[in-house]
Amino acid sequence: MKNENNLNRRNFLLSTMAASTALATGTSLLNPASAAGSLKIGLMIPLSGPAGLFGPSSKNCAELAAETINNRGGIMGRPVELVFADAGVPPAEATKTAIRLMLSERVDAIIGMHDSAVRAAVIGALKAKIPYVYTPVYEGGECAKNTYVVGETPPQQLAPVIPWLAQNKGVNKWYMIGNDYNWPRLSNEAAKSYIASVGGKVVGEQYLPFDVNNFDANIAQIKDSGANGVLITLVGGASVGFNRSFAGFGLADSVYRLGTLIEENTLLGIGAENSKNLFSSAGYFGNINTLENQNFVQRFQEKFGAKAPVLNTLGQSCYQGVLLLEAMAKRAGQWDKAKLAATAEGTTFDSPRGTVTLRNRHVDTNVYLAEANGVSFEVVKTFPNIGSGATCS
Amino acid sequence: MVFFIARNLGLLAVLWTLPVLIGDYNTYQLGLYLLYAVAAVGVAVCWGQVGFLPLGQSVFFGLGAYISGWSLRAFGESWEVWPLLSLAVIVPALSAWLIGWLVFQGKKESGPYFSLITLALSMLAFQLATSWNSITGGFNGLSGIPEFGGLDSFGSLYYLIAFCLVLALAGSSWLLQAPLGTLWRAISQNEPRLVFLGYSTGTLKALAFGYSGALAGLGGMFYAPHQGLVTPDLCGFILAAELVVWTAVGGRKSLLGPVSGVVLVGLLTSELRDVFAYWEVLVALLFIGVVLYLPNGLSGIFKPLSGLKKTKISPEIAIPARSSVSANGGLSLLFDNVSSQIGTVHILNKLSFHIKTAGIYCMIGPNGAGKTSSFNVLSGELPLSDGTIQINGQPLKLAQHRLSALGISRKFQFPSIFPELTLREHLSIPLWSNQAKAHQYLDHRLHRWRSQVLSSLLIQFPFLSNQHNLASALSHGERQILELVMTLIAEPKLLLLDEPCAGLSPQETKHVIETIREITQENNLTVIIIEHDMQLVRELAEHLFVLHQGNLLAEGNVLEIQNNEQVKAVYAGGSKT
Amino acid sequence: MESLLVFNSLNILYEVFSLLLVALGLGIIFGLLRVMNMAHGEFISLGAFTAVSCQMAGLSYWVAFPATLVVCGSIGFLLERFLIRQLYNRPFDTLVATWGLSILLRKLLELGFGKGYQSLELPLSGSVSIWGTGYPAYRLLLMGFIVILVGGLTLWYNRSSAAMRVKAMIGNPELAESVGLNTQRLACLTFICGVCCAGLAGTLLAPLYSVYPAMGLDYLLRSFFILVIGGVGNLWGLFTGAAIIGGLQSGLAVLVNQTAGYFAVLIVAIIFLWRNPDGIFHRA
Repeated sequence: MKNENNLNRRNFLLSTMAASTALATGTSLLNPASAAGSLKIGLMIPLSGPAGLFGPSSKNCAELAAETINNRGGIMGRPVELVFADAGVPPAEATKTAIRLMLSERVDAIIGMHDSAVRAAVIGALKAKIPYVYTPVYEGGECAKNTYVVGETPPQQLAPVIPWLAQNKGVNKWYMIGNDYNWPRLSNEAAKSYIASVGGKVVGEQYLPFDVNNFDANIAQIKDSGANGVLITLVGGASVGFNRSFAGFGLADSVYRLGTLIEENTLLGIGAENSKNLFSSAGYFGNINTLENQNFVQRFQEKFGAKAPVLNTLGQSCYQGVLLLEAMAKRAGQWDKAKLAATAEGTTFDSPRGTVTLRNRHVDTNVYLAEANGVSFEVVKTFPNIGSGATCS
Repeated sequence: MVFFIARNLGLLAVLWTLPVLIGDYNTYQLGLYLLYAVAAVGVAVCWGQVGFLPLGQSVFFGLGAYISGWSLRAFGESWEVWPLLSLAVIVPALSAWLIGWLVFQGKKESGPYFSLITLALSMLAFQLATSWNSITGGFNGLSGIPEFGGLDSFGSLYYLIAFCLVLALAGSSWLLQAPLGTLWRAISQNEPRLVFLGYSTGTLKALAFGYSGALAGLGGMFYAPHQGLVTPDLCGFILAAELVVWTAVGGRKSLLGPVSGVVLVGLLTSELRDVFAYWEVLVALLFIGVVLYLPNGLSGIFKPLSGLKKTKISPEIAIPARSSVSANGGLSLLFDNVSSQIGTVHILNKLSFHIKTAGIYCMIGPNGAGKTSSFNVLSGELPLSDGTIQINGQPLKLAQHRLSALGISRKFQFPSIFPELTLREHLSIPLWSNQAKAHQYLDHRLHRWRSQVLSSLLIQFPFLSNQHNLASALSHGERQILELVMTLIAEPKLLLLDEPCAGLSPQETKHVIETIREITQENNLTVIIIEHDMQLVRELAEHLFVLHQGNLLAEGNVLEIQNNEQVKAVYAGGSKT
Repeated sequence: MESLLVFNSLNILYEVFSLLLVALGLGIIFGLLRVMNMAHGEFISLGAFTAVSCQMAGLSYWVAFPATLVVCGSIGFLLERFLIRQLYNRPFDTLVATWGLSILLRKLLELGFGKGYQSLELPLSGSVSIWGTGYPAYRLLLMGFIVILVGGLTLWYNRSSAAMRVKAMIGNPELAESVGLNTQRLACLTFICGVCCAGLAGTLLAPLYSVYPAMGLDYLLRSFFILVIGGVGNLWGLFTGAAIIGGLQSGLAVLVNQTAGYFAVLIVAIIFLWRNPDGIFHRA
């Protein structure tokens, strides 16, 4: 066991107490563990488990972000150092990992790209002692102290997109299919109000257990219901399987599909012959046609070579997370969690996604609607600066 | 006893001093794994001792965690939380007991079906926990669970967890050394034999499963405040499988085995997962290797520490002979037109005979005549398709394990014993049967019981006095005798013996015959012996039944049978009817 | 709504057939050899990934069939020889060891192909009209193929002398050994046959579903429940099991919802196991 693991509880308490005393008296006190050198950021990304697929792109995006920041002088003059840890694990394991990062690695912040159960575990473990940035697409509503969210929420992904599809593609009868858990249910809850607001209606709503991989019954319902749009909140293999069956039954020609978590890897699994009329709404696609993104993609490919993982919104969200911390520190003028929290609102930075602004500890960001063309996405519409709908104070 | 206390106190001392050595963070981690270990001890009791594999122990862990989490959230530190927290142990225990009772009732083995049921239950529980948003918080879980009685999960809670683990270990080893533990081990060795000794093994297995459910619930109960979050994966198949993996690697036969398995594999995994990407490949290989080469796990390398400790022989407690042995002796047995049929095969065909008085009866007949089958119909091994069997004028319609209470004992054709049990345990099991009250199976003094019959049998067969020897070390003849002695210790009124002298030396045969004769006379016993050896038959039998093709061919004393033309014809080789 | 009825009926029929295919390999290994094979799902993955490799190499989809037989045959041989052989008649140990094996195979697939989803092109696209309802041609082909495969196996099992020997071995291994049957070799061949059947199922289904290293677990659990309900050792039982599971899941998915179907399958499996524990091993 490494020596620094043997952190003495009393010392830990003393140092946090000292820090809070320093804060109360108005003097700044640097964290003794990292005073000398780098700013350590813990990255909790899925290296194993069902989401392990997003591990490599998450890791590389974070590395590129660190390199970018270090090339322009680091955060508050301190070079950024990344510590990666597996978050593709049950919550109890993630709790331990978060504590280890905080106590023995002494990271200054944690960035997390994982599911919501793990998020609850990490927040419980950190107890707001260090800033925590949650990056992936999620259901919204997280307002824990010292927690910042850069991922897309249902209002962002759906509020502009559903009216656009109604107007441009005439989609007005929606069938909703998702896995049976919180994110799909809350996404669909949000979607219903947007559908109603443009005069559309919901003709079916179904939730599937994670290990169901036969979608025939749902496809029959879709056929029968006369739906001309399907909102897909299935995840991973289920999304792939559904879309393959859907197209296999020849529905792709007449019915539009919109997914809020169909990123580039999922599309590869769906395959070119099954991707007709498939739309995806997200804050990021590898093919975003802006100078900022083209630059990013080029640097990514230069750094990671021909075998670089496919860029996608989940992986790229880690880049956003690191950039957010840099921008927040710049705005606060110092690395102190209370100061960071106090000045966070309105923090803004440029990114491959466009200009991003922190509001209510969530971000206002561009939302892109992309249409599948074979196994790649083409952005067909950019909705600038969409709010997250978060109400955190 | 002193050793028992010292060992557990020693373990507690080690666990209590660890935090000083390993620091806060590791203590916290260790605390989590000790919680899993509490559940794994339950898996080891079921799998290693009783012999059935629970593949869904996470159901009870999760249940305990949800109940505890929900209670703590609702009542925090007010007094109502205490009774509710106890439910986190009681509810899992009762549900496990109920499941075990329903599933095991009326069965004499614990094959893979039970494992598959528990596996399906864990999948069901996971889906329920995920779908039932309003109660469980769905996939995202029940979060923000307050600490438990003000115990910090980074400090003081650990000591409580360590205490609970030691309590679970001590409780388990105490149970395993109690008569109940002997019966549990007997189940894993030879369940049908135990049934015929008068035990409802279904009930015993349900108790074991209930106990393991309580342990899992206990682990879950502390998990909620330790983590502050309860999620559906706690009920799921993956955690259940991990508990089994840890138990297998650590060693399912001992109690410290699963604890070391959990701590070693579990802790190493969480440490090395981030460092070494293909760590899981290594674990899988280790796991396969352990199953192949170390069936008793890593702890099997060392001598088993618990359970089989040779205790000093304490003064024995004499118990009286069974009051049920009536003066006029024996019991009447009537086979009235008994038929047994499986598919289209007629095994017994309208077999009728009547035994009214005590004495030694022999059943003879060529192979396939239905001798053993008539025993099997009587003891419920074969279906009774037609006709009735009456004992003392009452039609026989009982669960198999109740036959013994009626005074029926059976010795099987091939010696049926418990190979890994000591001789003393073999002798005790029939002694307790129908004699000890339910609660006494927790009373260690039962091990010291001795009856008149037992004492005289010990004198007859001195090899039985090496009480700590395992039965697996006995010769074939000795095993035959051991099983016979077991049936005799139960002090039956009707004794069914299937070739009791097969494979015995002439010396042993003589001994056995004398014993049977003696006991029969002393206790006015009815004995039915299936025998091929005519020499023996002549020596023993007062009355003979000759069976042929599932029916009674003839009956009478030896002389009458020898002169019976029909019998002669059959034995001469024909199959004349 | 006649066309919807036809459509749903075809779907249920397809579901039953595909489940039969999925469970076949486990039926052989668990049913004939009594090996609780927890790595069954990974054997299916092996077949699917063989098809993916063939596509990557630019070969025709149909080449994947002989390739699967070679891959699964040799892996099956090695596994039987070095792992399963030591574990016959140790049911719980087999269960635990094959669980370890499944983790190992999954990780090796990840190592070779990455964790991502693979997409296999449909070898036969387009649809066929049945009573006015369009139905994917490949699914129909698949159903035909399953009928041939299962029918062939049934014939073989009922007629051939090799099958007689297998039955003799199952019925009474000591006796079979004593009359000169090489039971060790027979068991090995049976195991290989089971692995190949699982592999073929993977190859056949891969174009319709998502292919990724962790895909096996779902197939494993479903196969077990089919065997639990239908019993093993005869194909009619397997078919009954597939019909009950498939009918229940698909039927309730149509009538109520998928979650209800999922619960119903689990509950029915539990009831079957509880009321009829020996049902698994009953043979006609």
